[in-house]
Parts: sequence; C-alpha cells; structure tokens
Amino acid sequence: MLRLRGLLIQHHFLSNCSARTASSVACREYDVIVVGGGHAGTEAAAAATRIGAETLLITQKIETIGALSCNPSLGGVGKGQLVKEVDALDGLMGRAGDYAGVHFSILNRRKGPAVWGPRAQLDRGRYKEFIQLELLNMPRLTVIEGSVEGLLVSTADPEQPGKHTVTGVRLADGGNEILSSSVILTTGTFLSGSLFMGKTTSPGGRMGEPPSCSGLTHSLREILGLKLGRLKTGTPPRIVKETVDFSLAHLHLPDLRPTPFSFINTHTHCKPEEQIPCHLTYTTPGVDRVVRESLHMNSHIQQDTKGPRYCPSIESRVLRFPGRQHQVWLEPEGLNSDLLYPQGLSMTMPLEMQLRLIREIPALQRADIHTPGYGVQYDFVCPTQLFPWLQLKSIQGLFLAGQINGTTGYEEAAAQGLWAGINAGRTALSMPPLSLSRTESYIGVLIDDLVGHGVTEPYRMFTSRAEFRTSLRPDNADLRLTPKGFEEIGCVSSPRYLEAVRVRQGLSEALSALKSITMSPSRWKEKLRDACISETKSTLISGEEMLQYKDVSFDMVASAFPEILSPYLEFSERIKIEAVYRPHCEKQQREMERMREEESLSLCPDIDYFSLPVSLSDEVREILDRVRPSTLGAAMRLQGVTPAAIVHLLNYVTRTGRRSRAQRDADRQTKTPDCKHRPQTDQQAESNQNQEAGIVVQN
Amino acid sequence: MMFACCRRNTFLITHKRLRLGFRCASSASSTAEPADTIFALSSGQGRCGVAVVRVTGPAAGGALRRVAGLSCGLPAPRTALLRSIVHPQSKEVLDRGLVLWFPGPHSFTGEDIAEFHIHGGPAVISGVLQALGSLPGLRPAEAGEFTRRAFHAGKLDLTEVEGLGDLIHAETQAQRRQALRQMAGDLGHLYNGWSEQLKRCLAHVEAFIDFSEGDLIEDGVLNQVDIAVPQLQMEIEKHLCDERRGERLRSGVQVVIAGSTNAGKSSLFNILCQRPAAIVSPIAGTTRDIVETSLDIGGFPVLLSDTAGLRDTGDCVEREGVRRARQMVGLADLTLVLVDSMQLPQEPQMVSGFLSEYLKNVLPSAKDHEQGYVLILNKSDLLPKEHISMIQNVLTQTSDMAPVSILSCHSREGLDDFLTLLQDRLKTLCGDPLAGSPSLTQTRHRAHLQKCVDALNQYYEYRDTDLALAAEGLRLGLSSLGRITGKGS
Repeated sequence: MLRLRGLLIQHHFLSNCSARTASSVACREYDVIVVGGGHAGTEAAAAATRIGAETLLITQKIETIGALSCNPSLGGVGKGQLVKEVDALDGLMGRAGDYAGVHFSILNRRKGPAVWGPRAQLDRGRYKEFIQLELLNMPRLTVIEGSVEGLLVSTADPEQPGKHTVTGVRLADGGNEILSSSVILTTGTFLSGSLFMGKTTSPGGRMGEPPSCSGLTHSLREILGLKLGRLKTGTPPRIVKETVDFSLAHLHLPDLRPTPFSFINTHTHCKPEEQIPCHLTYTTPGVDRVVRESLHMNSHIQQDTKGPRYCPSIESRVLRFPGRQHQVWLEPEGLNSDLLYPQGLSMTMPLEMQLRLIREIPALQRADIHTPGYGVQYDFVCPTQLFPWLQLKSIQGLFLAGQINGTTGYEEAAAQGLWAGINAGRTALSMPPLSLSRTESYIGVLIDDLVGHGVTEPYRMFTSRAEFRTSLRPDNADLRLTPKGFEEIGCVSSPRYLEAVRVRQGLSEALSALKSITMSPSRWKEKLRDACISETKSTLISGEEMLQYKDVSFDMVASAFPEILSPYLEFSERIKIEAVYRPHCEKQQREMERMREEESLSLCPDIDYFSLPVSLSDEVREILDRVRPSTLGAAMRLQGVTPAAIVHLLNYVTRTGRRSRAQRDADRQTKTPDCKHRPQTDQQAESNQNQEAGIVVQN
Repeated sequence: MMFACCRRNTFLITHKRLRLGFRCASSASSTAEPADTIFALSSGQGRCGVAVVRVTGPAAGGALRRVAGLSCGLPAPRTALLRSIVHPQSKEVLDRGLVLWFPGPHSFTGEDIAEFHIHGGPAVISGVLQALGSLPGLRPAEAGEFTRRAFHAGKLDLTEVEGLGDLIHAETQAQRRQALRQMAGDLGHLYNGWSEQLKRCLAHVEAFIDFSEGDLIEDGVLNQVDIAVPQLQMEIEKHLCDERRGERLRSGVQVVIAGSTNAGKSSLFNILCQRPAAIVSPIAGTTRDIVETSLDIGGFPVLLSDTAGLRDTGDCVEREGVRRARQMVGLADLTLVLVDSMQLPQEPQMVSGFLSEYLKNVLPSAKDHEQGYVLILNKSDLLPKEHISMIQNVLTQTSDMAPVSILSCHSREGLDDFLTLLQDRLKTLCGDPLAGSPSLTQTRHRAHLQKCVDALNQYYEYRDTDLALAAEGLRLGLSSLGRITGKGS
C-alpha cells in the first residue's frame, strides 16, 4: 500500500509538465474540480462558481447532466424543505423544478405549514435542458467529458501519518492530470456500481453507463484507507403510456394554482391549465404471487445489502406486508413523453416476470414495458469520516456529496452538493469552511445526522428528523438562509438577496401593523362577520392574535383595515403562517440559542483525546477519539458523553479558543481587509433604517 | 455550597473575555427570551439550625415579594430582613426567617438572586420549596445549574472553574441516585409507563406526518393517539392532585454495609445503631433481606442498611437477597465494604491485589469513583499484631486503595478511628445539598409533570388544524417526562 502511494505521488510530480500539452484542460489548474454531473455534482459546481472559484466539472457524458435517473418528480414531505433551502442559497434545483414541473401539489396540505411538502412531477427533458443551459453558460465553469481514474494526493506532513492533501485528479484515457486544491466527488451509484436484473449482474452505475473507474475506489479504500460500505437501490420499469387503461385507475389532479419552489419565481413555467394529471392504482394478490414465484430468479433481493426502507421495491413491500394492497402511482414522464413511471413498482426480477407482474394490475393488464426495472448496488464512504463542511477529515481538500455519503434522493444529494461546493470553493480561495446548524436548516440536520451518526441504510430526509421543525418551515427558508448566504457565505446573488430583504421587511412591517391594531372581541366581531370569535375574552385582541384563529385570514383582516394592511396583501399567506407560529417559535428560541452557542464552540480536529490534560474517563476519551465531533454541541449529542465531560471540554475549548482568537486577530492585521461585502452591509443598514421608519409610520 | 463565598468585585481579566465570547455567540438573535428562574436548597443538611434556599433569574425579585409578603417593594440590596414566609396560594405561614436580595450583576450568578434563610427542619424546607415551585416561571434547579450560570457569567475564578466539572459530576450523580431511589418503586413504574405511552403516541403522529401520503403506515394510527393522550393526561393530573404522593421519603445520607458472607456486616450494623437490630450468627448467609434503620452519626442524618452477603447461591430466597443487596449498593451515597481479615492472603504483598478484586466484585461501577466507599478489614483480633502492621504498610504504599479501616467488631479495637473516618465522609456528603433532599427531587418531579400536562393540551388545541404544532405538544410533553426518568432530554 505504501509503495502504491509513493508511485502515485511520484507520478503526479513527473507528469506535471507533460500534462500541460496533453489537452486544453489538463494544462490548467482549477480552484475546484467536481467529479460527477448528477444532482450533487451540478449543485456543487454551480455553488463553487458562485463563491468565485474557477471550477471544472468532469462527467462521463455531458448529455446526461441533469438527468433524473429514477422518479420524474421533485420535493415531497421533508424533501420539499430541502429544495426550498437549496433555492434560498441560490441553488439550481428549485428553479429547474419550476421550469420542468408539469403537475404541482403541496402534500400534507391539511397538516400544518411546517410540514407541508411542496412537490412536482417533472418533464425529464425540460429538467435536463434547464440544468445544462445554466451550467454550460456559467462563468468560471468548465465542463468536460471524461472518467476520473484516480486522485492525486500527497502526504501533508510526515508528523501526521494517514493525513493527506488532495492535489488533483487523473483522467482515465491517456492519464492526463488536472491539478486542484479542492476536489468534490459526487459519483452517486457509480462507485463500484453493479446493476442487477434477475440473476444477471453487470458493472454499471445507471442502465447503459459504465461505473466509475475501479481506480477511484482503489484510491479511496486502499490508498487513503477510508471505510467504505455497500448499499442498494432500484428503479421500476418504464411503461408505454398508450397501453395503459386509465379508466381503471383513480384520477389525481394537481393543485389548481401551482406553487413555485423558488422564492424568486412568482409562477411556474407550466401554466395552471397545462398541468397533467397522475393516476393511482393498487396491486392485487396476483402481484404477490409473481413476486414469490420469481424470488429464486432475483439475486438483488436475496442480498443482505441494505436498501432504502422508505422507497422500497415491490419485492420488499410484498415480503414485508404480505396480503396487502400497495399503492402504485402512474406518473407522467413529461408533457410529450410516451412513457409512464409506475412509482411503487421498483423491481429487479427477470424481464419476463416484470411483464407478468405489471399485467396483474387491472389498469396495466395490457401494458408493455419500454425499459425494464433494475437494481443497483454501490459503494458509499461512511460519512462519519467527514467534517460538517463535507470534507474528509483525513484528506485536506477532498469533499464528498450525495449518494456516495449513503443518502438517497435527488434533494438530499443536491443539498449536500451545494454545501460541499460552497466549502470547496471557500477552501480553494483560502476562506475558512462553514457549517450549517440544526437550528437553522434541514441541510444542517441532514449533514449533522450523517457526520454524527453515520448510516446503516440509505438516508432520507423526514420532517421528524428536525427537532426545530416548527421554526424550519418551507415558507421561511429564504428568511433563514438567503441573507446569511449573501452576507456570510457569499453564494447568493445580489438580486435574490435584495428580494429576500424586501420580503423580510414587508413581513416585519405587516406584523407590527397587525400588532398595532387592538380591539375588544365584540368590536372584532363587528369588523369580521364571517369569523367565529369567542366573546368570552375580556382583554383586547391584536390583529396578530386574530390571525391565530383558524378561519381568520390576513385578507379578511386587511379588508377591515385596508388603509393599514393593503400594502402587504402579496405576503398574505406568509403573514398568516408567521402569526400562527410565532409564539411557538419563540418558545424554541432559547433551546436553539443554547444549541447554537454550543455549536459555536469548535473542537479542533487534531485533538489527541487520550492525552488531553482534562479529567475525562477512558470511555469518554474513546468515544470522542472515534467520532471526533467538530463542535461541543455535536459532542453533547453523542451517547455516553456525560455532562461532566462536557464541562471539562467546554473549559478546555474556551481556554484554547482564547488563544486561537488572539492568533486570528494577529493574522488579520497582516492581511489586507476583504472589502467584498462592504457595500452590501451598508445597503442592509439602510434597509433596516427604512424598516424602522415604516414601523413609525404605522404607529 | 462551596462557591457561596465567591462574590467578588474584581474578576480575572480572562473571564471578562470569556463572558464576551459567550455573549457574541448568542447575539445572533436579539429576541432571546430571558433565562428561566430556578431555585434550590443551597445549604447542606444535618443538624443545622438554618437552611438557605436560593432563587436566581429574572423572576427572583417577584418571587421574593410574593413569598415574603413585600407588597411595597424589594428590600435594600444585601441587607437581611426578618419576614414571615407565606405560601403564595394558600397564604399559610410556613416559617419566619431572614430574606436577602442581591440584584444582578453583583451576585453569585450575575443574575438577580433572592435568598431565604429559614429553619432547618425538613417540613419547613419542603414547604418553602413547594411554595416557590407553585409560582409561575420558577422551576427547581437541575444538577449544577447554579454554578453553571455563575460560570457563564464569568463569576468563577480559574481554580473554581477547574473544579466545576467535578462538582457538576458529583451533583449529577447525587441527583441521579436520589431520583433512582424515588423511582425504584411503583412511582418509577408509573413514570416509565407514561413515558413509553407518550413515545408511542409521538411515533404514530410523526409517522402520520411523514408517511401518510404514501401507504407505508397502518390505518387509523391517529385514532389510537386521540384515545391515548387524554387518558394519559387524566392519569398524570390525578397523580398530581393525589396528596399522598406515593411512598414516604426519608432524608439522610444512604449508607450501605456490603461484603461477602460472614464478614461481620450485621455485627458492624448493630454496633453503629447501638442495639442488636440485626440477627448475628456464625452461619454464612444469616442476613437475607435488607435491614434498615435511621441513625444520627455525629449530627448527620443517616439511613443505614445491612445487606445479605454477596455470594452465588442456589437458595432462591438468598439469591433475591443478594439481588437486593446489589441494588442497594447501586443507590447508596456511601458503601462500607466489609472484608473478613481471615480471608486475606498470607503474603502481605498479595493483599492489595486481593482487595481490588474484592472491591470490583462489591462495587462494579466504582472504577471512576462515582460512588464513595470505605474499605473495612474486620476481625483484626484474629490476626497477629505484626501481620496487621505489615498489611497496613503495604496498603499505605498503594495509595489508590485508601481509605482502609482495620478494626474488630468483637474487641472494638480500631472502632474509634473508623468512626472518625466515617464522620469525615458524612460531613463531605452532607455538604452537598442535593445528596439527600427528597423534597427538592419531589418538587422537581411535580414541576416536570405539570409541564407535561400543559404540553399535552397543545395536542388537542391543534389536533385538527395543525398537526405539526400538535406533535410539538407531544414532543414537549415527552421531554418533560424524560427529565424525570432520565431518558432522552
């Protein structure tokens, strides 16, 4: 192993000059290299360029950039929040969804705005078109076709064995090397990927596409010594639309008024009346029978490898809940597509059995299969080896995002890609890496779960994973993240930032105006005849409190006080949600505050916990050494770390923190001040003044 | 409390910086709610005339005015005032005592502090704690919370900060044992049962929120919750109204005598309570159940227990006795580990190895000094004098074995030294106000139960309009229960 590493490093130095002439890209050095053009890779590349980094995206086929490999849909419960957050940080996914959506609906509509799940069926072609158009015209971004054979790494410091620094990648054909101090791997299911159908297995990451070069797996496992695991997933057969009898399925209509994902879109590309429906049908006992009869011909399902529990194959569903009817959604693949995607029928049995199975469903009894379903097994890198900024702890400059970290789903991949892109860009431009807190975003929850606990099965986002769910709503993702994205992170464009500031100001003014309206219950009753208000309360009720009544809308209150409230009608729905949730969010505020405080105290990644001169039990030292939490907050959430241990750590952190702060102050004096954000801050100050002025007028 | 006297006007400059650090970290949101107001008994127990109850936080002033009947305003800062202490709801006079007012930031925690110096009887103390607990916005302090606040306010100097971890560790352990004692019986079953039920309800609601749009969950899960939550709420409310409050709680330091059979545990027990309370015989395994008595040793209240000798046995009654003995040891503040000197190895060099093995058997969790113990070598009269002094020499060289008492319950030799040692240990243990204060634990439990009941109301309030907020109610309720049972947070 040692010898191999030596060879690789040597090779890198030798080929440095020859690489310059090999091809146009190889002669360059990039700030950031992104490997993979899926949801993680595209967001990563876009985010890195937004940060200001010269970025190279390497993909096997430019044509498949932005491809939806599995379901033609975006968002849902929990996942919708991620889409909104990626959009709030100026990512691509939300806008691409608005462009490509052909059927919009908000799931969980009756369960409260905190758990609403914005979702859309997509036109595959349009989605790809949007993503490719964005990426291929992006300044500072170069896209090339190629396959990465290995990583170029050097040992950073002989004092620290096992620690490396990434210096670039080597391409497969011709062995061209491209240099970069930050590399993001987003290889999805392509890392040692193998495809399964029936009893046949073939190497590949997606039907018709070869897996990543074995050299990459070799680099990760053997040379860098990373811990890898294996997971599986699958996709259903695609069905020829005109062979389906829709009269035997239930019609499912989209929302009358489609709600865009993106905060900067007021409407979707698809007109409301152009939306197309979905259909719902159910499995029959015949489906159960085919599954059981084909089990011996189905090597994917017999494997022990863990698959996605919450998006299971029809085989797993039948085996887990025998004798039950299972939902099958017949989803359009696009406006003009001749194909249907049968969600719920992911399967890996031989083709002839797949055909038998779908024909057991009445609506599909004469249906034809266009492309068969298949399973994929792939390697993932145990994500506990990552920092919260998605860089590997042991390899400076190497970032991972998406399914390679053990997650499932487009949205989870995009969220990680965005965050890895931001941090790879920042690292390349000598800015400190950043992490998002559980208290401010689902992205923070996702990454904290991954790096803190690892995965045992493909990780999917749920709303129940977020302890501050009532504060982290889909409606307020822009307020939570866009200002931060502009002011602190640098990944948000100025127009988007100004829009978020305008919205924030409008909401705040509207709520102050509502608070300033106070009346007795009987007066309110006169004003709002339709609302049922209990008159038993003797105290005055403010407009804000009125909105906490279920059937009182902002429009109703605004029509009673048009002179004060009509300027804010565009925020109607958001004001109502804010008013209902504010008291609950304020209760959470202190808890969030505490967590943020703990997370602001970072633990240096190189601490030698076994020799730390503080009083810790051996057990606690072992846990801390194994997990290497990056903040005190993360340490507190580890099982087995006692309150006393935390106090000792806190003590240690605050002492060393003081020292490093002093160090930073000294460093800062030697550098020229970074004035990039200066004008923007002034702008913000101005808008704050405006805001205050607005409130004065209201009062 | 050990930091009671450290209200200083001058702080080390480093701590000013430290405080700044914390402020900066939390200044991100300007709408932070004020901190909770907490209270605790901050004097030790034992035969002390005066007990001190402290309240810290923004509502401390209000609490002082209501409990001390100060309608026209707060007393002058740092000046003692003699007042009647009154229960704010029942208006019953609980005691007459001194009250003091320390407005922040010139106080131990940097916040407003009110102090009540009252008579030291358990009834008075528990009355005042309950009175404070009944005020809105006040809750009993969690382990180490006072000192933690002082730390965050930058009011501890460097050596005190070093000791803070150990102090919090001790307090956490003491509080855990105290809670375990109360939870050991039916009460524990009750709380754990509620906690389990609520967890199931929450799991159902969460599953409904995250999965009901697919078909991965059973039908009718919410109906089950709609039935279970009101039932649970009614049970907890009924429990809160029940004035019997379950079992009688006795205060005192819990001291347990443990060791192998025939080491002389019951003899030591009888000597300590100065009456033949436990049956003593030369037959191994005489004591099979816990024998318990309340004692006063050197002015400190002690709950002393004699236990069955620890050995593997086929006798099912004795086996139960051994199980109980082990449980008692787990709950004890102090364990007197008794060794039969005749069982010691002949070679004095081997003694310390033997004893550490023995300790490991009696106190399986003692390795990180979670529990105090005193090692006692009994039956010293049966060994030759020079052998004893050799053993003593060996043991003083192996420091981690200290303290060891060598005595004879038969000849009473070495007993005085042992009693001095025991009193020292009791003094330390009693200095910890949390070690034996069941009323505080009880007040804390009641506060959490009440919070749980209130949180469950939120479930009904939003059940039909906003399931996310309804679920939030269950989450809050579960976390309140979790604070009692120590599971989850």
